[in-house]
Amino acid sequence: MANSSMPIERLQALDNVEKEIASCIQSAGQALTELSKDKASMKQVESHTSQFLKTLNHVEGELSKHINYLTQVSTGQPHEGSAYGSVKMYKTARHRLEHTRSRLQDLENLKNRALASTVRPASAQNNP
Amino acid sequence: MAQRALPQSKEALLKSYNKRLKDDVKSLLDNFSEIIKLARVEEETQVSRMTQCEEDHFEMLVRASNIVRAGESLMKLVTDLKQYLILNDFPSANEAISQTARSMLAMQQESDRKLMALRDDLAADLYDLEEEYYSSPFK
Repeated sequence: MANSSMPIERLQALDNVEKEIASCIQSAGQALTELSKDKASMKQVESHTSQFLKTLNHVEGELSKHINYLTQVSTGQPHEGSAYGSVKMYKTARHRLEHTRSRLQDLENLKNRALASTVRPASAQNNP
Repeated sequence: MAQRALPQSKEALLKSYNKRLKDDVKSLLDNFSEIIKLARVEEETQVSRMTQCEEDHFEMLVRASNIVRAGESLMKLVTDLKQYLILNDFPSANEAISQTARSMLAMQQESDRKLMALRDDLAADLYDLEEEYYSSPFK
C-alpha cells in the first residue's frame, strides 16, 4: 500500500471511482435495454453484463482499498499542523518588496520634480 | 499511549463505511440478477398472463429504482470517504503542509535574494552619486 502518495492523487482516484459507478449503472441499463428488444443480440447482452460485473468488482476493490488505508492511517485526533510560519515569512518578504518599491517610487518622483525644475528656468531663459 | 487504538466513534464510522459498501454492491448485483430472471416467460398458472405481466413490470420498476438508489448510495459513500480522507489522512496532510512550506520558503528566499542584488546595485550607484554631489558647488 503506497503510504506517501500525494493527497491529490487519492482524491483523483476517488473521482475515477465515482465515474466508474456511473458507467457501471449505464452498462446495466444497456444490458437490460438490449434484452428488451424484439431481436435481442445475446452477444451484446453478455458483453454489457460482463462489463457491469467487471466494473462493479473494480469499484468494490478500490473502495475497500481506500477504507483499509484509512483504517491504518487515521488516529482519531484532529490534525494540528499548519504552514503558517512559512506563509508569514513569505508575507513579510512581500512587505519588504513593497516598501522598497514605494521608496524607489518616491525617489523617481523626486528626480522628475528636480528635472522639471531645471527645465523650466532654462525654457524661461530662452523665451524672455 | 495506545496509538493504534482508534476512538470508538472512528472505528464504528469505518466499519459503517465497509457495511455500506457491501450492502450497496450486494443490492446492485441482486436487483440486476432478479430483473434478468424476470425476463423468463413462464407458463400461465393461477393468475392470467396480463396480471403476471403487470406484476413483473411493477417488480422490474421497483428493482430498477433499487439499482439506482444503491448507485446513489455508493456515490454518497465516495463523498464521505473523500471528506474523511481530507480531514484524517495524516501522511497526505503532512506532505501537503511540507510542500506548501517549501514553496513559500523558496519564494521568500528568491525575493530576498533579488532585493539584496538590488541593494548592491543601488549602493554602487550611490557611491558615484555621492562623489558627484560632494564635489559639486550645490552641497
